[in-house]
Amino acid sequence: MNPSNPPQAAEYGGDEVSAIVLDPGYSTTRAGFAGEDAPKSVIPTYYGKYNYEGKERLVFGDNMFVQPRAGISVHNPIGKDGIVEDWDMAEKVWEYSFASRLTATKPDNPFHNGLNDISSEELPAEMEVETDEKPLADTPLLMSEPGWNPAKAREKTIEIAMEKWGTPAFYLARNGVLAAFASGKASALVIDIGASNISVTPVHDGMILKRGVQHSPLGGDYISSQIRALFKKNSPQPITITPHYLISSKTAVEAGQPPQANYRTFPADRAPDASYRALQEERTLAEFKECVVQTWPGPNKLSGPGPRESQTKNSLAARRAVFGVDRFRVVESLFDVKAAIPDPDSPVPAPTQAQTLPEVIKASLAGVDVDIRPHLLSNVVVTGASSLVYGFTERLNQELMTLFPGPRVRVSAPGNTSERRFGSWIGGSILASLGTFHQMWISKKEYEEHGANIVEKRCK
Amino acid sequence: MSLASGVSVHDDCIDAFNALRMSRKVKYVIYKITDDLKQIVVEEQSEEEDYEIFREKLASAKDAKGNPAPRYATYDVEYDLGGGEGKRSKIIFISWVPQDTPTRLSMVYASTREVLKNALNVANSIHADDKSEIEWSAVLAEASGGKAK
Repeated sequence: MNPSNPPQAAEYGGDEVSAIVLDPGYSTTRAGFAGEDAPKSVIPTYYGKYNYEGKERLVFGDNMFVQPRAGISVHNPIGKDGIVEDWDMAEKVWEYSFASRLTATKPDNPFHNGLNDISSEELPAEMEVETDEKPLADTPLLMSEPGWNPAKAREKTIEIAMEKWGTPAFYLARNGVLAAFASGKASALVIDIGASNISVTPVHDGMILKRGVQHSPLGGDYISSQIRALFKKNSPQPITITPHYLISSKTAVEAGQPPQANYRTFPADRAPDASYRALQEERTLAEFKECVVQTWPGPNKLSGPGPRESQTKNSLAARRAVFGVDRFRVVESLFDVKAAIPDPDSPVPAPTQAQTLPEVIKASLAGVDVDIRPHLLSNVVVTGASSLVYGFTERLNQELMTLFPGPRVRVSAPGNTSERRFGSWIGGSILASLGTFHQMWISKKEYEEHGANIVEKRCK
Repeated sequence: MSLASGVSVHDDCIDAFNALRMSRKVKYVIYKITDDLKQIVVEEQSEEEDYEIFREKLASAKDAKGNPAPRYATYDVEYDLGGGEGKRSKIIFISWVPQDTPTRLSMVYASTREVLKNALNVANSIHADDKSEIEWSAVLAEASGGKAK
């Protein structure tokens, strides 16, 4: 850089403000700056609640896992169907996702931080600083939402963004459209395997076909409930899941041997709530899903004969066990309800045939025009973290070819793990970083003129 | 308004397309998005009669760094209905986004597709990410609604 020339505006970049992209899910909330490859902030959507010195306290993000506080209970502002239930808490969790890592903390008010102490009668009235500065006052915000998000929820979302966070520009994009676009397609059948839901969203010419949007609760959390059921039935004795925070030390043992570990115990008045343990167990199960669980490749039924090699798993309670065919069984009921492992005590209701993926896909296609079905089937896009179960896309392809023998079926799924986990976030990140996208944003002025309903007109 | 990139259509695209629609000579137009991702421009307008040459050109489109890149195209498909029904012609819109396109370009091309298709007002369209999807038979089937042999 030549010191005799003043810096160019673009080089200096003083007034370039990156938009924030917020992709709220049931299990995690993803937030980051537009234009980046992956979200900088990925936090659990769950939050913790406990009492301290007679006051109710809240704890967000990974901080929840740091310390098993006495009586801490775990909650989620989003319902099992992926739609927000508790708006006050959803707002807090979402705000935490960007405020904790992305937006800089505002400097203290210079009149209140002790550096400029002057007596109150000397304080000139016109120098009072506005105190209620909003977290996104200078930052445009693009959010994503499921295809079945009702109009009321969409209006509430823009209201929070505009009024509570003070964003100057806002956009609300459908998950399914973002995922289809990210694989280069304006028309696609988007199959999203999330934590609380699996969903099928037909996208045609860049628009979701509402009548074809279907979802069912057989997502990642359901797979967890199947693993729990499997562990319960284990012989000679059931396998218990012991989360990290209850183990203080352990020694490796041979497969099938009883675990050798020292456990941490909490007296009843210091112990966390059962919901806290359940969430911690879920993290252990996530590891089990990554290391052990596989999708049965077909084409013959899982119950039929076939080669089945075994695999070992070093569980976290210092336990080691060998899982053979069972590692396929926990996912099989996503495709075939008869394969479900029954567990009458589970809080998760037993699945029905209509909830399985092939049936959900059939129902979705039945809701769209006959002429577009072949286009959709030749452009199937798979996304969502739980679709990363080993062998999942191959099995899906197999199922689709059996279901629809006529038309050409093609399944595409990003091979890259982060694109599968953050597909809609990445799509939003690219769009919001385009210079030309400015004309799509809903500005604060437009919101003030037309009200929250503008989101229905502009973000179809 | 559906979700779109906001990338605009350069006037040349409309002119080139009108030339394709009005004249018997022009066979196809290939469009691309400029490197600064601001607008759609015409890459090539051609009178080449051989479909295979067009297909090869589309499939070998490259970006500034020499990697495979997406394109849009409009092609004037001429076909014979047979049985004395005579010759017909129909223009189809093709979006080409090869499989190994980086996510950024895929996203931009997919979210801009409807803008161009609507500006040109073409009803029949094909989306392809593999060369086999733009074989003559596929194009013919789309243009004639499956009627041409």
